[in-house]
Amino acid sequence: MTDTLEELMLNPVIRALFWGLVMVTAVMTVTAWTTWFERKFAGRMQSRMGPTLVGPAGLLQPLADAAKLLQKEDLIPDSADRFLFNLAPILTVGFALGVAAVVPFTPDILAADLDVGVLWLLALSGLMVFPTWLGSWASNNKYSLISAMRAVAQGISYEVPMVLAIMVPVIMTGTLSLSDIVADQVKNGWLIYRMPFTGFFAFLVFFLAGLAEANRIPFDIPEAESELVAGPTTEYTGMKFGLFYMAEYIHTLLSSAICAAVFFGGWDGPFAPGLHWMLAKSVLLFVFLTWVRWSFLRFRSDQLMDICWKYAVPATLALIPITALYTVWHGGAR
Amino acid sequence: MTPVALARAPWPDPYLNVDDYDPEADLMVINLGPQHPSTHGVFRVVLYLDGEIIIKAIPHPGYLHRGVEKLCEKLTYAQITPIVDKNDYVAPMLNEQAVNMAFEKMLGVEVPLRARYMRTILAEIQRVASHLLWLGTFAMDLGGALGGGTSVFMYCFRERESILNLFEDLTGCRFHYNTHTVGGQRHDIPAGWAAKVHQTLEAISQRIPEYETMLEHPIFVRRTKGVGVIDADLALELGLTGPLLRASGVDHDLRRDAPYHIYDQLKDLAVAVESEGDCMARYKVRVKELRESIRIARMLIDNVPEGPISGGRPIKQPGQFKAKGGQVYVGIETPRGELGTYLIAGGGKMGDTPYRLKIRPPSLHALACVPYVFPGHSLSDAVAILGSLDPIMGEVDR
Amino acid sequence: MGYIDATFKTFGITLKNLFRKPTTIEYPAVRRERAERIRASFALVHDANGEEKCIGCKFCEWICPSQVISIEATPKRESPVTGKKRGYASDFTLNLQACIICELCIQVCPEDAIIMTREQEQPGFCREDLVLTMDKLYANEKKTLAWHTGAALMEMQNPQRGQEKPAAPAAATPAAAATAAPAPTEDKPA
Repeated sequence: MTDTLEELMLNPVIRALFWGLVMVTAVMTVTAWTTWFERKFAGRMQSRMGPTLVGPAGLLQPLADAAKLLQKEDLIPDSADRFLFNLAPILTVGFALGVAAVVPFTPDILAADLDVGVLWLLALSGLMVFPTWLGSWASNNKYSLISAMRAVAQGISYEVPMVLAIMVPVIMTGTLSLSDIVADQVKNGWLIYRMPFTGFFAFLVFFLAGLAEANRIPFDIPEAESELVAGPTTEYTGMKFGLFYMAEYIHTLLSSAICAAVFFGGWDGPFAPGLHWMLAKSVLLFVFLTWVRWSFLRFRSDQLMDICWKYAVPATLALIPITALYTVWHGGAR
Repeated sequence: MTPVALARAPWPDPYLNVDDYDPEADLMVINLGPQHPSTHGVFRVVLYLDGEIIIKAIPHPGYLHRGVEKLCEKLTYAQITPIVDKNDYVAPMLNEQAVNMAFEKMLGVEVPLRARYMRTILAEIQRVASHLLWLGTFAMDLGGALGGGTSVFMYCFRERESILNLFEDLTGCRFHYNTHTVGGQRHDIPAGWAAKVHQTLEAISQRIPEYETMLEHPIFVRRTKGVGVIDADLALELGLTGPLLRASGVDHDLRRDAPYHIYDQLKDLAVAVESEGDCMARYKVRVKELRESIRIARMLIDNVPEGPISGGRPIKQPGQFKAKGGQVYVGIETPRGELGTYLIAGGGKMGDTPYRLKIRPPSLHALACVPYVFPGHSLSDAVAILGSLDPIMGEVDR
Repeated sequence: MGYIDATFKTFGITLKNLFRKPTTIEYPAVRRERAERIRASFALVHDANGEEKCIGCKFCEWICPSQVISIEATPKRESPVTGKKRGYASDFTLNLQACIICELCIQVCPEDAIIMTREQEQPGFCREDLVLTMDKLYANEKKTLAWHTGAALMEMQNPQRGQEKPAAPAAATPAAAATAAPAPTEDKPA
C-alpha cells in the first residue's frame, strides 16, 4: 500500500492534484481564521474586545459569519449583467487561490514547483484586477463604476513596481523559480540583508505594492467605504460578497507568504522544522500587514498614483542596475 | 468687511449650467446621500462629475425635517427644553441653553451665579464631547471604516463616552438631558462630581497628543492641506460661524465678543484662529478649542459658588411662564458656531407659548458653502470637506 | 523623512492601545454601574398606608411634551384608610414608545406618585409591551426606584435654597406651597 502511494505521488499530475487540494483546503481554512485574528487584533487595538461570544474567545466566529452569509438572500440587481455578475466572485477567489500553487512552504510542500513561479505569481496578481472590474461593471452601479476605474488604474500601476521589485531577488539568485530562490537563500543568506542591501528596499516596494494590490489601507482606494459605499461589492450580497471578502484575505495572506519566501529565507531557520519557520514568518508579516491597516488613513487616488510613478517605480528602476552591477562584479548569481 | 458679489467671486460658479459645460465631457451625475456612509446623517448632494472631478454640487437638505419650530409654537415655555435637545444631537446642552436663555431674556428671569457657572462648565464639557465626535468621524471619513480611521474614531468615542458618563452622573441621561430650565438648572452638581470632571478631562487631555500624532501623519496632511479652502469673504458672505469662520482667518467668537453665562469673567479665553481656511485649518482650530475647553472647564469647576441653581419658579405647570409679548434674539457659541434663537412671544392669552421660535442652526449655514467649495475637487476631497464642515443634520433640518 | 518618523509614531500609538485594557464590556454578562440619577422607566407608588399615591390630578398629563400620558380620574371619594376625601386615578397609561424621558412628569407630581425606576432593560416583543398600563406601573414599584421625586427635584431647584427662609413662605403659588410644606392631599383638582 505504501509503495503504491509513494509511486502514485511520484506521478507529477497526482502530486500536483494532491498538494493542490491540500493547499486550497489549508489556505481556505487559514483564511477563515485570519478574519477572526484580524477582528480580534483590531478590536484590541481599538480598545474593544473583538469577537467573544461564538466559541471560546470567539474562535468559531468565522463559521458563524459563513453561516450568516449563506443565509442571506442572493440579490442580483435588475439592470445587472447576470453572467458577469455571477462570474466575478468565482474568478476573484480562483485567481487568489491560484497564487497558492507556487508558494514554497517547504521543499516538499509545494503544489507546483514551476520554473517560472515568479512569472505565474505576477500574472495572477495582474489578473486580480479583472474580477473587480467585471463585478463592478456588471453591477451597473455608479459607485461601483468609479471604484472599478480606480481599481484598474491602481492595479495596473502597481503591477509595474511589483514586477521591478521582484526582479531584484531574481537577479541576485539567478532563478525565476520560487523554491530555488528560497534554496539559494538557505545557502547564501536571506535576501533582506544580503549585500548590496537592495533586497531590503525591494522588499519595501514589493510590500507596498502588495498592499495596493490587495486593496488594503492605506491603499484601499477602490473600496473606500466613506466615499464609494462598498466599492466593487456594493451590489453583492451573501456568499458572493463573502467570496470577494475571502479573496482579499487570501491575497493578503499569500502576499505575506511570498514576501516571507522571497525576502526572508522561506523555510530557513535553526532548531525548528522548515514548515514552522515558513509559517511563523508568514504569520508575522500578516500581523504586520494588519497592524498597518488599522493604523493609517487612506490616500487619495491621485496621491496613490503619485507614490507609484514618482517614487516606487524610479526607486526600483535604480535598484535593478545596482543589483545587477554588484552581482556581475561578484561573478554572477551565486 | 464689505459684502462681495458672489457671481464675480473667484470661486467656481455654483449655478453652472451643466449643458454649457464642455460638450465633449462625459458627465456622471451621482447622488451622494441621503444614504451614504459619509454624509453624517441624511444629507444629499447631487454631484456632477467629470471623471472624478466635481464640476457642480447641489445640496439637498431636508430629509430629517421634524417640524421642531412649529412644534415649539404649540408647546409652552416649560415644555420646549426637552424637544430642542433633539436638534443638535451631538451637543444637546447648547440647544437647551440657547432656548432657555431666550426665554429668560423674554420673561426677565435672573439666572443665579451658580447656574451660570454650571452652564459654562456644561457648555465647555459638551464642546469637548462634540469636538471629539467630530475628530473621530472626520478620521473615519478620511481613513475608511476598515482602517486607521476607525481606530481614531474608537479612541475618540472612548473619551466621549467618559464625558457622557459625567452628564449621566449630573442629569441622569447621557444624551437628551432636559437639565436646563427657565431661570437655571434642574439638577444640582452631585457630590464628588468635580473630582470626576478633573479626572476625566485630565485623561482626555493626556490622550489628545496621541490623536494628533495619528492624524498628523503625512497621509492626513496630504488629504487635508489646501483642500476645500473657504476664504474669509466667502465665509462671511455665507454666514459661516464658529470653527469654520475662525479657520478662515476671522477672529470671531461669541464667547468673547458677546459674552453670556460667565464668559465675560474669563479674560484669558484663547480663541483659536487659523488663516488657511482649508480642512487642515479647521482641524487645527477644533483641536485647539478642545484643549481650551478642557482648560476652562477644569478652571471653573473648582470655583463654582454655592447658592440656588434656579432663579425662576421650578416647573410645576405647563403654562406657568407668561410672557407679555415682544421679540428677543439670543446667539450662543456652540461647537459648530452661532446657534441663534429668535423668539417672538405671544402675549395675552397666548402668553405661555412662543408665537414663533426660529432657530438659526450653524450647520445649515455651513452647508451653504457646499456648492462653492465642492467644484474642482475630487469625490474623495468632497468627503473630506463635508466631514470638516461638521454638519449635524438634526439641526440643519430641524 | 517625515513619513518614516510619523509612521513609526503611529505604529507606537496603536501598539500602546493594543495593550490597554478594553473599555468595552460584554454587556449582558457584565453590567456597568449606572449613575445614581439614571432615568429609565416609570413606576407608580403607594404611600405608607398602602394606598395609591396618585390622586389623578393630571398635572403630568398636561406637562408631558410628547403627550404620552393619559389619565382617567374618578370623582373624589373617601379614602378607606385615612377616611379623608381624595381623588383617585382609575386609569393611568404611559406610552413608552414616544416617551422622551424628560422627567417633567416626575417634577410636577405634587404627590410624588410617579417615580422613575433605575432598571434600563425594558424590551418587548410587540408595541403593546411598551405601553405601561396602570398595572405595569404599579408592578414597577418593586424595581429599584430612582432618588428623584417631585419634592426632591423641587427642593433642588428652590430659588431660596441656601438662603434664610422668608418668615412667611409665599403660599400664594402652588409651586412655592409644594416646596415649602408637604402638599395637602385633599384639595387637588380631580
